[in-house]
Amino acid sequence: MLPLSLLNTAVGHPMMVELKNGETFNGHLVNCDPYMNINLREVIRTSADGEKFWRIPEIYIRGMSIKYLRVPDEILDMVKEEQSRPRTGGDGDRRGGFAGRGGHRDSGRGDRGGFRGGRGGGDRGGRGGGRGGGGGDRGGRGDRGGRGR
Amino acid sequence: MDNFLPGSASLVDCVDKKLLVTLRDGRHLYGWLRSYDQFANLVLQDTVERTFVSGRRFSDAYRGVFAIRGENVVLLGEIDPQKEALAMEGFTEIPAADAIKEFKLDQDNKKKRRDRRNRVLASHGFSVDVVEHDNY
Repeated sequence: MLPLSLLNTAVGHPMMVELKNGETFNGHLVNCDPYMNINLREVIRTSADGEKFWRIPEIYIRGMSIKYLRVPDEILDMVKEEQSRPRTGGDGDRRGGFAGRGGHRDSGRGDRGGFRGGRGGGDRGGRGGGRGGGGGDRGGRGDRGGRGR
Repeated sequence: MDNFLPGSASLVDCVDKKLLVTLRDGRHLYGWLRSYDQFANLVLQDTVERTFVSGRRFSDAYRGVFAIRGENVVLLGEIDPQKEALAMEGFTEIPAADAIKEFKLDQDNKKKRRDRRNRVLASHGFSVDVVEHDNY
């Protein structure tokens, strides 16, 4: 269960997002992407000092500017349930999306994936191929990106 | 540490352990690491925010599940619950609202001092182009 799959599971649920500048946004998660960019609905924005409040119907937050997200406790159990199910939709699809990016040579996105993959293959995958955990994962992605290029 | 893996892969040993995570804004979070990724984004469960203020006082506030973006993390380390209890001897717990208010005030004062110092340095011809937004 990666941090981003937790976020995907939390779609439709209430959450609190704090930005790097200390402002917080409380609302329901509508959508999110692998960059952690998110859409929230029915938002209450709180200033960094915690003294001013705004009600906002809908808001988009760039992932870069996020410090952390707080999600309801139940979401963690929901992720576990989702992953114990056979991989037909949900997580399986998402993985396909990640890996496939390097391979799409004709699309703009594909180019970007290729660059990323190349870097991964260079500085990490090169040092040791089949490693476990995060490092191994990254190396694998790098290989695929390299071929796509 | 015998089979050390570079990068965030070294966090594999910390999964399902109780950790202290210090954020760039000076907050301390104590929680159970459930997951991480290649950016060292973290998922913490049963997180408690502990705020220390002067005079060996502190407060605990339950915060639940966190997904933290890795770039905001200064350090993280495993907590031995028994040793933690030992280390907290001599500290008095106070209400969280009071401690957090005092902590913010303290940070505010530090920032004012820093700004004042930068103004003086600038007036003496020193370069203060690099304005730090926090302690890191």
